[in-house]
Amino acid sequence: MARRNRKKTQTGLMFPARLALVLMAVAGVSLIYVCVQSRTSALGHEIKKLEAQRDQLREKVIKEQCEWARLQSPANVEKALKEHGLVMTWPSRDQIVRMRADGSIDTLMGPEPRPGGRLARVDRIVMND
Amino acid sequence: MTEKHGSARYFVLAIMLSLAMTGLAVRLVFLHLGAGEQSRSMSSKTRTYKETLAVPRGRILDGGPSANILAANVGAKDVWADPSVLIASNKVGVVASQVAAVLGLNPTETATLMNQERRRFVYLARYVPDEQADAVARLKLPGIHLSDTTTRSYPQGEMLCHILGFVNHDGVGSWGIEQCMDKYLKGTPGLLESQLDGRRREMLDRRIQEIQPRDGADVVLTIDQNLQYMLEKSIDAAMEKHRAKAASAIIQRVRTGEILAMVNRPGFNPNDFRSATDEQKLNRAIGYVYEPGSTFKVAVIAAALNEGIVTPTTMFNTENGRWLYQKKVLRDYHPYSQLNVADIIKKSSNIGAAKIAIMLGDERLDRYLRGFNIGSRLGIDLPGEEGGILAPASKWSSISSSRIAIGQGVAVTPLQMLGIMCGIANDGIMMRPYVIKEVVSPNGTVLVRHEPQALGRCIRSDTAAVMREILAHVTEPGGTGTKAAVEGFKVAGKTGTAQKPVKGHYSETDYMASFVGFMPADDPEFGMIVVMDEPQPLHTGGIVSAPVFGEVAEQAARYLGLLPPGPAIEDRSAIASQARVTP
Repeated sequence: MARRNRKKTQTGLMFPARLALVLMAVAGVSLIYVCVQSRTSALGHEIKKLEAQRDQLREKVIKEQCEWARLQSPANVEKALKEHGLVMTWPSRDQIVRMRADGSIDTLMGPEPRPGGRLARVDRIVMND
Repeated sequence: MTEKHGSARYFVLAIMLSLAMTGLAVRLVFLHLGAGEQSRSMSSKTRTYKETLAVPRGRILDGGPSANILAANVGAKDVWADPSVLIASNKVGVVASQVAAVLGLNPTETATLMNQERRRFVYLARYVPDEQADAVARLKLPGIHLSDTTTRSYPQGEMLCHILGFVNHDGVGSWGIEQCMDKYLKGTPGLLESQLDGRRREMLDRRIQEIQPRDGADVVLTIDQNLQYMLEKSIDAAMEKHRAKAASAIIQRVRTGEILAMVNRPGFNPNDFRSATDEQKLNRAIGYVYEPGSTFKVAVIAAALNEGIVTPTTMFNTENGRWLYQKKVLRDYHPYSQLNVADIIKKSSNIGAAKIAIMLGDERLDRYLRGFNIGSRLGIDLPGEEGGILAPASKWSSISSSRIAIGQGVAVTPLQMLGIMCGIANDGIMMRPYVIKEVVSPNGTVLVRHEPQALGRCIRSDTAAVMREILAHVTEPGGTGTKAAVEGFKVAGKTGTAQKPVKGHYSETDYMASFVGFMPADDPEFGMIVVMDEPQPLHTGGIVSAPVFGEVAEQAARYLGLLPPGPAIEDRSAIASQARVTP
């Protein structure tokens, strides 16, 4: 029969190993939770920031659209032409050329088109006054 | 240290820890179940916040190919002060002068606003542009704050002011399209309910509810801003030249009733609507009734032709310019002994028109005029339309029909007068005029689309064709409206010079000069009316208004791609739509 080792006798209370494992698991889960939570929170703030940025950009787009609308308004175009010393007038009727499908051209004042001839397209008449 | 002492210490520590843990547990239980209810709800209230998510108001766009923006909401800043902070810092004077200099305010008035000891909030300036707001922010002044807001912007300024209207400071449409389409333009605000962290930032993972806002829908008009500009420019020039008190003009597409341009003067800047008077805000084209004068002869003669009681060649004795009827004298501007029906229109004979109206009889004349929608609204999709004045035939005197024939004793709006002319141009079918083409939601869904709508037939198609021929003579040599002629095109129209009724009498000095017509006469594309109020000293429609018509009609024909009549141009309408150009 083996003799009992007196030096290895327990003197204090033993911390249960299972409890320690449970506590460590809880601590681990808590740590993961805190990490995920802080990451979620950070993402949340980032989303908010991006939402604000999106709203600002949207506002800026509308502002730019308005400015563009103002710049290309007929009154403004006319003002710009004047500033650059450009005097534009409507083309006279004999300056307008019509092109026909058969390749012939004539002016609004010109010869009568061939019977049955169709207009291929009408040259763009620029409104410049 | 003995084993006994070690155990005792361990025991004491365990007891203390247990006590501490018990205390915390009890506190937790109290917080969660019992006495903490009040503080929990307080904390929850402090952390929870509700925010109404503002929604941008929809835009108003023109009907041209590039859908130009006529109205849109843009971001701006409100500048406000906290007077208690300013007074405490004893810097009211300095701050007031600095802020006033940047915002262009009166320093004394600004200081007075800031010197209200009991107040914590006072607006210094609202809807400040970003540049100015940035300049204020750079000053870093104590007690001066900026807050975000939006304001309605009308990039074209005064152009189209009567049609667009304006939005008041509460964001409610209060005039024109802004008013009548408010329910589409304003959209639906959203709601955000969430919780805040200790630094008053929203915790996104704690959002309670989020109702997305629905942006306001865009309203697309039938108006073309380039045509509008042409018309406004010509009207402004004519008003200056003839020193007119007011004016209005409309261009309408004959076949559909679409309004392509509508001008009223005086006007106002909708960006600064507060300074506009009621007179400036009045949309005269639809809301101002006037006695139309000779332009009204068109309706009477169309009715007589439709009834078959006259033909274009029927001769009338025009009494050498002076006719006594029912003890009242009726005069012609130019005396003629005899004129046929076509020439009565061409020369604008009052006596001839009056005789035709008498032949037609009160009942029939009344019926035809109501068929032309005189005395009732045409139903344009703009607020403030008037229906004109036409008393029932039963209340007419013995000379009423002879006076109505020359446009006296009857009142119309310019839109109604144009409606008569467009009815004739459109083979006798009156179309409902409209300015709203469609309403489109931000995701592109068409919520409302206005289609051309016939109001009814006023005269037969063959009568309308005859009338178009007769009216085309008015702009030919010898007619009263030669200045409305456009080279290469046949223009149909009628001049009008009406004395204004003043205190029960007709004024000898104040006139309404008008011209109403359409073009091209044989295949009408658009109709136009120009009405000038009290032009001086020249005051006839042929001299004051017809040139405006001619000038604008020529440009409009080119802009719309109309081709002068010619053989072998087979698909004119397709070509016209292809040739639509932008400046």
